[in-house]
Amino acid sequence: MGAKIQVTRPTKIELARLKRRFRLATRIQKIMKDRLSILVMEFLETVKECAVVKERLVSEFNEAYRALSVTAGYLGSENLEKALFALEMPLKMTGRTRNVAGVRIPIFDVEKDTGVAARTAVRPGMTAIEEDTLSVARRCLESIIELAELENSLELLGAEINKVKRINNALEYNVIPSLHGTIRYLNMKFEERDREEGARLKYVKLLIEKREAYAY
Amino acid sequence: MPIDGDFLRDRWLDGGVAEDLRILNTQAPRARKTLAALLREDTPFVSCQDGGEHHFRKSELLRLASMLEEWEREELLLPILIEVSGESRQMTVRTKTGVEEKVLGTLLGMPVDREGDEIYLSRAQLPAIRRLLKSSTQYLFLV
Repeated sequence: MGAKIQVTRPTKIELARLKRRFRLATRIQKIMKDRLSILVMEFLETVKECAVVKERLVSEFNEAYRALSVTAGYLGSENLEKALFALEMPLKMTGRTRNVAGVRIPIFDVEKDTGVAARTAVRPGMTAIEEDTLSVARRCLESIIELAELENSLELLGAEINKVKRINNALEYNVIPSLHGTIRYLNMKFEERDREEGARLKYVKLLIEKREAYAY
Repeated sequence: MPIDGDFLRDRWLDGGVAEDLRILNTQAPRARKTLAALLREDTPFVSCQDGGEHHFRKSELLRLASMLEEWEREELLLPILIEVSGESRQMTVRTKTGVEEKVLGTLLGMPVDREGDEIYLSRAQLPAIRRLLKSSTQYLFLV
């Protein structure tokens, strides 16, 4: 597809303005391209991390189901239900944001189960099997939170990539070729004008010479 | 009509894209904090140019602290700014004390390319650094 030429008036001022715009558009496009490559890199890294966390979550779920069925076998389903009703698992999580190339991405930080949170969940008289199930469940919860953070990041990064890609494509395939074409057109127009001016001057010179020859 | 097209293109360049460029670096911190200062905070963060906050992960700060001496923690300014310029294929990290060089070198497991106050990072090295220092590094786009 040829570049669209848009000229309001073929003047030198217009040409200077177009050249300035062309330089600006080229610079913006370079930065947009850089930003796009960085966003894509971040996106791919997040995808890889997401896959690792998902795999870990699946294995943790397997472990949790196994632990739950062992506990159910040990306590009996009625006692397990009672224990689950009475169970509290305090979890301290803080949600904040960090910035990646202009995209606000959430950070979910879960307090590790080494402090008060872990101790309050364990009731006196709880068996080792129950405690083990509880710790596995907690690990599952932490992985779910981590996965939520990553999935959310992916969504935000994906939306931004689309936006930057559109701007970059518009600059690369529309604005810059159009400006380039217009500048070329104006340059040719001025060259043509110069040639016309040269020919006109030659003709005038010839007329003057003829007039002077007749005068003598 | 050419005038309309011209006008719209100019307005788009001046308005939309220029605005995008303007807000590109608004995530940059207003003032950076030292690692030691951030470690003392309950919720470590720095204020950004746009009035928002950029938060750090405690685990990352602890990882950084573990690889540095006490005096180096007072020298390392966070977030580490990675300068991206459209002109060059490399990215730059500015350093005055050389602590950034030690951090990046340790994380990459190889010496980094430093010339004066500037540390040059190739694009291949970037994912490894960003993977380990997600919240402790930030991009800065040079227009």
